[in-house]
Amino acid sequence: MDKAQFLTRLKRSLSRLPENEKKEILYDYEEHFRIGLDEGKTEEEIARSLGNPNVLGKLFHIDALLEEGREGKHAGAVVRAVFASLGLGFFNIIFILGPFSALLAGLISLWASAASLALSGLAVILSLILQPLLPAFIDFGGLNIAFAIFAAVGASALGLLALIGMVYLTRWFLLITEKYIRFNLRIIKK
Amino acid sequence: MNVQFKKGVLELCVLVIICRRDFYGYELVQTISSNIDISEGTIYPLLRRLTKDGHFNTYIRESGEGPPRKYYQITEKGKEYKQALLEEWNQFITGVNNLIEEKDIT
Repeated sequence: MDKAQFLTRLKRSLSRLPENEKKEILYDYEEHFRIGLDEGKTEEEIARSLGNPNVLGKLFHIDALLEEGREGKHAGAVVRAVFASLGLGFFNIIFILGPFSALLAGLISLWASAASLALSGLAVILSLILQPLLPAFIDFGGLNIAFAIFAAVGASALGLLALIGMVYLTRWFLLITEKYIRFNLRIIKK
Repeated sequence: MNVQFKKGVLELCVLVIICRRDFYGYELVQTISSNIDISEGTIYPLLRRLTKDGHFNTYIRESGEGPPRKYYQITEKGKEYKQALLEEWNQFITGVNNLIEEKDIT
């Protein structure tokens, strides 16, 4: 990232601040670049040691919101500041945790339905086998036996297929979660 | 290191350094980053906030070589604030050291 790219990204992340504030902030970083270049550093070196311009933008944004709050301009400013600061780290705890637990719950219920589908087929077959032994307990009430077997095998096969599908879905879910968390860690690190 | 903790410590470092003499941003950033591992850009939000809160004054001075520089100068309010933070820091360090050296632990 060179000087122009760094400043453009910083400017973009400051978009919610008033124009004069934005100018002052950008001036400080321009001065930093100028002096660093005078000392023989490259634009890339300077940009790298300055850090992520989006994170810096957030820091300025939080300070501005806190100040607004202190001056009593907006009652909601502090709340917004809290959320903005959550964006640097804790944001993820809340906003990961929500979708993550919802997805996890969905995944678990899908596992359960796939498993119950497979098991229900088995149960029907098992009861067909046991029926002659325990006529008092199991009564098919005139149900066509061939149809029952057919339906049971179908349900079990469908359930098994669903279970196999769930293995892939779970793997994919874990992979995406891991990637997302890594991505967050990279942002929070410094 | 914990981000919040680091930020608090950086504030103290900035105040202590500028208390010695006036610094311009770049020079201050280099002084700190040669001692502590930070992303250098985070010093500027700190300087801006401390200035807005009246702990620093700023002025622009032309330099012999190179572009003009914005200098930061500590105010009376800034000195008091530095003193308060310094005491807090010393108390904290003493406490941590006591724990490490297992003093006062029964």
